[in-house]
Amino acid sequence: MKRSSASVSRTIAPVVALLVLVAGVARSQTARDTILQGRELVINHACAGCHGGLSPVAEVKWLAGMQAPLQEFYVGPCAVTPGATPCFKTRARNLTPDNATGIGRFTERQIFNALRFGLRPGETPDVTITSHTPGVGNFPANPRYLAPPMPWPEWRYMSDRELWAIAAYLKRGLKPVSNKVPDSEGPPDFWASEYTPEKLGPYPFPRFPAEFEQAPK
Amino acid sequence: MGQGLIPDQACSLVLRTRLGRGGLVVALCLWPGAHRVDVDAASVLTSRLAAAERPDTLLDPPVLRNVSHSRGTVEVNLTASPVRRALRPGSPTEAYAYNGTVPGPTLEVHEGDRVVVHFRNQLPEPTTIHWHGLHIPAQMDGSPLTPIASGAHFDYVFTIKRGTAGTYWYHPHPDRRSGYQIAKGMFGAIIVRAKDDPLQGIPEKLLILSDNRFAADGSVEFADPNSVAGMRDEVNGREGDVLFVNGQVGPSLPIRSGQLQRWRVVNVAAARFFRLSLTGHTLLHVGSDGGLFERPVEVSQIDVANSERVELLVRGTGDPGERAALRALPYDRYVPQTRPSDWNTPRDLLTLAYTMAPRATTPPVPATLRHVPALDTSIVAATHVLVLSQGLINGQMMDMARVDVHATLGATEIWQIENIVGMDHPFHLHGFQFQVLERNGVPEPFRSWKDVVNVRKHEAVRLVVRYDDFPGLWMYHCHILDHEDHGMMGVLEVHPPPPRKRS
Repeated sequence: MKRSSASVSRTIAPVVALLVLVAGVARSQTARDTILQGRELVINHACAGCHGGLSPVAEVKWLAGMQAPLQEFYVGPCAVTPGATPCFKTRARNLTPDNATGIGRFTERQIFNALRFGLRPGETPDVTITSHTPGVGNFPANPRYLAPPMPWPEWRYMSDRELWAIAAYLKRGLKPVSNKVPDSEGPPDFWASEYTPEKLGPYPFPRFPAEFEQAPK
Repeated sequence: MGQGLIPDQACSLVLRTRLGRGGLVVALCLWPGAHRVDVDAASVLTSRLAAAERPDTLLDPPVLRNVSHSRGTVEVNLTASPVRRALRPGSPTEAYAYNGTVPGPTLEVHEGDRVVVHFRNQLPEPTTIHWHGLHIPAQMDGSPLTPIASGAHFDYVFTIKRGTAGTYWYHPHPDRRSGYQIAKGMFGAIIVRAKDDPLQGIPEKLLILSDNRFAADGSVEFADPNSVAGMRDEVNGREGDVLFVNGQVGPSLPIRSGQLQRWRVVNVAAARFFRLSLTGHTLLHVGSDGGLFERPVEVSQIDVANSERVELLVRGTGDPGERAALRALPYDRYVPQTRPSDWNTPRDLLTLAYTMAPRATTPPVPATLRHVPALDTSIVAATHVLVLSQGLINGQMMDMARVDVHATLGATEIWQIENIVGMDHPFHLHGFQFQVLERNGVPEPFRSWKDVVNVRKHEAVRLVVRYDDFPGLWMYHCHILDHEDHGMMGVLEVHPPPPRKRS
């Protein structure tokens, strides 16, 4: 009995090993797919339009943040009338996983929270956010939001899977590039009065067809 | 203060003030002949002064009276209680104080002393006393883990380690309430003296730097946390517009031409950073948190982050009758979003007033002060990376039930503190003095013992620490009090070494 059991394990051992191997490959394939999906989303959402100094994917500065003061945004009345106040200069930060100047020290969850909720990863605890309303659940009572014109209020409607894929690509699919971008300016409430739930509109978006939509006949 | 005062200056701290309407001029010599002042008498003195016209000579806080008769023991009584007194000259208000005075009385001890502090908490809330920078057992450290309830007594008992002569301070460290209690008036200095102090005999001044802000009725003002001012405080830390030295606004400090003075400077402000300069003078920087350096360093300005201490030698190079200003220069520690509009304005803290006495001969400054042994970085057991962001360490807020860093008693370890946001975070480790090795890869120019290191915006600091003597749970945190109170803190557990295996 004992012997037969041993011989059975001998027989199935290679099979088990093969299964483990296949599962392992399958798992790494999934991670690779996630990163590739994230890459596609980053390209077709034009992230590098701001964050890569307009450089194409093949260039070293790809996603490494603003490269020159000319690429600063002016937020406030000064965007229309030079010299008008308030005037905030905002800058697209380095999205490569460099520890000192990029997002290397943030978790994928913090990047997900930035894309879904607009929460600055350096100012927001690394937790799963459980509501869309400040002070409710563990959504910070005094939220600190990413500076405009980062279009997270629209991109938050991407699926969980897509946002996690972007986070995975930025953290694991890019090489770190050192490029220190000065901090964006902004009001002392970190745009909280601009990004109230009322101004942001509903999440998730209303069921189709909404007021100005029509269902196909 | 200090035994160092030489006899002909024993009464140099004479204070003249008028008490009441009668215009009675009272001159008091603040030199009792020893370095121990009866604290009760001293509190009466300072509270009378507060009620009278603002004195313009810098006063030393009273020194805690030693009630022990045995050699090598310093036994003192310390009570925290609500008091009505003026924190800002002329506007009495409800404050919190140690033994009734703000700043609290100074604890003066010698290396090797056994210290017993009979503490009574008469505040309407829990508190602790954290003996900032002292190397003492964890249960005596006054961390948020050991609150003293309202109405309770506690004896803090510890021994002052040899080699730790320097300037320290004590303050409340209760969970979430440190900023509030310190703003209400609770802070005091600790001076640890060495028998073989190389600067013995040089007249000393203690300069406790603080700030505060007040409502129109003179009460300490705290912003509504949900207002923009409250959010600004949460990010910057609460700064005040009134700056104090030893609780006084713009005092003058007399100096004789040619005189050498030793200044012990403590920054007890919740968030304000002091970049000091003395107009027309350079300063000799001789010591930091854990005591003297190996040799003096000449500087034109000196940074004092929150809770840091600096020891300076001031050379009275001016002429009789001249005046100089100790000035807080602008320093941009802020993120752009909350940087105050007046951050760029220098502020005067104190006037250095030369007496009319003819120039004295300046005593020589020793070229070497003491040996500062280097911690051995060749036997490092582990390197811990701590990422500081806004209000967070490693993306987390403190949980007192969680241990974030584990270490073994006696081990030498490196902490790499990386600040990834655009404002400074002064980092404090409880219980163990450390040495800064490098900043952004650049080696520190000289060695010193530190318990606070200002980690500047986007800076990575490497420090080395050895966990000597005391196992237990220790806090580390940002010393901007609002950040600390909001949980920018972590817990280090120093475990006793595993029992040795018998061979």
